[in-house]
Amino acid sequence: MGFPILSVITWSPFVSALIIMAFARHRPTLVRMTGVVGSSLSLVLSILLYFKYDHVANGFQFHEFLPLVPSMGINYNLAVDGWGLVLTLLTAIILFAGSFASWTVKTRGQEFYALLLLLSTGVFGVFASLDLFVFFLFYEIAVLPMYLLIAIWGSTGEVKPEGMFGWAFKRVGVGTKEYAAMKLTLYLLLGSAFILVGMLALYTAAGSTSFSFLDLQKVKFDPQLQSWVFLFFYVGFGVLAGIFPFHTWSPDGHASAPTAVSMLHAGVLMKLGAYGVLRLGFGLTPDGAVQWAWLVGAIACVNIVYGALSAMSQKDLKYVVAYSSVSHMGVVMLGMATLTEQGINGSVFQMIAHGIMTGLFFALVGLVYEKAHSREIFKMGGFATMMPGISTAFAIGGFSSLGLPATAGFVAEFLTFIGAWQSAHSWWLIPGVLGAFFTSIYVLRVVKQIFYGAKSTDPHFQDLPDAKGTEWVAIVVLVCILVLFGVLPNLMLGPIDTTTVPLLVKMGVMR
Amino acid sequence: MNGFVLAPTAPLGLEIGLGLLMLVVLSMGLFRPSTPNRLTGWVALIGLLVLTGVAFAVTPGGSLFAGSFQVDALAVFAKRLFLVSAAISVLATLGMSSDRFAKRGSEYHFAVLASLLGMLVLSSARELILLFVSFELMSIPLYFLTGFLKKDETAGEGALKFFLVGSVSSAILLYGISFIFGATGTTNIAAIAIAMASGSVFVKLGLVLTFAGIGFKIAAVPFHMWVPDTYEAASTPFVAWLSVAPKAAGFIVIFRLYLEGAGSTAMVWVPLVSAMAAVTIIAGNLMAIPQKNVKRMLAYSGVAHIGYLLMGFAAVSASGTGMILFYLVAYLFGNMGAFLCVQAVGSAEHSDDFDAYKGLAQRSPVLALSLLVFLLSLGGIPFVAGFWAKLFIFRAIIDQHMYGLALIGAMATIVALYYYLVLSARMYIEKPDNPQPVPIAAPLLVAILLCAVGVVVMGAYPEPWVRAVMDAANGLF
Repeated sequence: MGFPILSVITWSPFVSALIIMAFARHRPTLVRMTGVVGSSLSLVLSILLYFKYDHVANGFQFHEFLPLVPSMGINYNLAVDGWGLVLTLLTAIILFAGSFASWTVKTRGQEFYALLLLLSTGVFGVFASLDLFVFFLFYEIAVLPMYLLIAIWGSTGEVKPEGMFGWAFKRVGVGTKEYAAMKLTLYLLLGSAFILVGMLALYTAAGSTSFSFLDLQKVKFDPQLQSWVFLFFYVGFGVLAGIFPFHTWSPDGHASAPTAVSMLHAGVLMKLGAYGVLRLGFGLTPDGAVQWAWLVGAIACVNIVYGALSAMSQKDLKYVVAYSSVSHMGVVMLGMATLTEQGINGSVFQMIAHGIMTGLFFALVGLVYEKAHSREIFKMGGFATMMPGISTAFAIGGFSSLGLPATAGFVAEFLTFIGAWQSAHSWWLIPGVLGAFFTSIYVLRVVKQIFYGAKSTDPHFQDLPDAKGTEWVAIVVLVCILVLFGVLPNLMLGPIDTTTVPLLVKMGVMR
Repeated sequence: MNGFVLAPTAPLGLEIGLGLLMLVVLSMGLFRPSTPNRLTGWVALIGLLVLTGVAFAVTPGGSLFAGSFQVDALAVFAKRLFLVSAAISVLATLGMSSDRFAKRGSEYHFAVLASLLGMLVLSSARELILLFVSFELMSIPLYFLTGFLKKDETAGEGALKFFLVGSVSSAILLYGISFIFGATGTTNIAAIAIAMASGSVFVKLGLVLTFAGIGFKIAAVPFHMWVPDTYEAASTPFVAWLSVAPKAAGFIVIFRLYLEGAGSTAMVWVPLVSAMAAVTIIAGNLMAIPQKNVKRMLAYSGVAHIGYLLMGFAAVSASGTGMILFYLVAYLFGNMGAFLCVQAVGSAEHSDDFDAYKGLAQRSPVLALSLLVFLLSLGGIPFVAGFWAKLFIFRAIIDQHMYGLALIGAMATIVALYYYLVLSARMYIEKPDNPQPVPIAAPLLVAILLCAVGVVVMGAYPEPWVRAVMDAANGLF
């Protein structure tokens, strides 16, 4: 079997979390260093994994196998294919950047890092698991620590949303971190209830012998069963991917969460939902996927336009970024609904592009907040002269968000739109492009107002420092990768395509 | 010579032993009223531990009284369950302050043991009269124990409510049994399955009435009203036991009456039971949300758990039955543990309100962590016992293609997690008003840790437990 590289990637954050809890009490530097070492190890090995991955031979590679509950067919079976490979890499990058972005967590830093690393183990595990049951366990590990991370270290919003539904928001108390944490946890667990039932349905329909993805993939399930199990997977994972109308946990949750948690959650965990739909929904219930593609695409269109419009009407910087995630996740879902090679490649590429970009955004918003102690867009102004580095990074992130060529965002949206045009519903292109247009409005508005516009006269916003020291690490890494993938998209598209094509062939929509 | 005398009564060994223990405990109070309450408690505990040890050594087999008393695999499993839960409860009672007993310690323990005797006989009963008598032997001491703190007004109210509801349910149960007897002409349970197969209307009517009677005992909606008041009124270590053991006994009766030997005729009950399960799960969880008192919250959540157990019945399969037993064991550790933690906090704070739990994690980390583990188990979170219990029940249901019921169950889990999380947030996120650690008596702490170990071990390694429950359940089908 050789060196268990996937297990080491998956469990090294967990081991660092244990070390932090056991040995680093009241030693904040040791806590951070252990966190950084654990996440660096995952990152280095993920890069190694990328280079060792055989791009010619498609299918799952780096198999690891350990029987857990043989009588029920539950095994610890890790392996990655093209999608898993790039998403593992994405997780490692965001975790690495996130462990630097949490440098300033003061209260109970030990528990914070431990929970953050525990969560990452869950995410790595989901992307690498071939056993549905273990997949589900990792999924729960990825979701549950979020409650504590937001409820303890989160921030309570300053600006309440206004407008048509303002009264409703006021009544439910939007903005408090406890509310956001509970809402996020309950939504995601509700999703996992659907996933569990769907998984068990396939398991029993296949004869209750194996939870292995590879075994279940070979079974031709009854179309009726496929139809509703696909819907279960779509709703269950879709909640995490932020599909309309189950997206409302996302703005509240992401806006209330501490910086690194927003980065990981918006950057990676939402991808986990999309990945679940693609892997289990499209992979195990292909007929259901073909049958319901119209619904997935239509809802994705709503996501794109509605998310962008909502982002436009926010006054709180973190809510803008959070709603932009809803819009961009719509592009991910749209790409897969097209059932075309370009569309699905674009969808997975958008997971990467949006993951990096939103990670960058949340890191920057966190920095701006630390320095200016404000998230209110219209109070701040002219920060570019004081913090040129942060401003430049924010602008580059913004360009990727609105799909400017030479950034990763462009490649992803372009591929998705080609896919939409080729698909059975070419009208999907219109809301897609419209969303990109709205995105440019809200992104440029924010960039202009906060960084490049007239200087604010508020005494609080004078002489603010630029990023310094370790704060640069997250920014530089994420900006470089965003541009790198924009210029050389084939780095990612190569492995992605090796998985997309066999899937489409299996689904019978491509020969 | 000895062997010759004892051999015919060997299947009754546990019950005879327990009877002797009862006599010892009672006479300690009768002849030496000055006996310290703790001493009777220790005697009862040691006796129970010995009996538990014997119960784990017993192998199934043997019957008495022309088959009306049978020690099959299910009976042995149930006896172990009852003995373990009673031992944990008595152990936890040792941590209670002596003045609460007011020199009536031997009465208290005598009543607990009497009720336990009822349960032990019940799990072996294969005949309707014996079943009913043992059911009453189990129930009557419970009414008495609920009102044990007779100077406390709420205890009197709770006990009276419990007694009235309980008597009515017994009457209904007996009414149902009379129909069954009338239709079949025998009180042998084995005759029921045969009569059901022949499609007798009166047997069916009798069984519906019996089910209502049992429904009161296990507190399925709409027969659950007595639960929160009774739980709130009674002393907590007793409630811990009351919330688990009589419920388990109710399910043993259900297995005997409705499933044993019935085969596919038991499918008649599926619509009724699955509807009742769904309603019980939904109503129990929804009513738990607004509660401000942890005991009442756990009472309503306990009602919801009964719904999950009924789901296992609705599967009408060996795996469904086995998983009910698994769920009962997980529920035993999880729910008893949670109530014992409530006892620890309640006796220190003189309140069972949510507010008493503020910042518990900073005051007593071990207690808070144990309670968190219990709540997570009750909520069905992976790596603790409750997760497997729910998962197995869902699997049994999905095996029978009842996807909708499984989905209702899974979604209601999220509702349950809400109120469990609210309590956890109180413990872990808020700051305590009083930073002193919660004082906790050693026996109570041991009982809590035992439950915590049970929950974690079952969660980490469910395989042997699954095998045990399947062995017990397979005999029924």
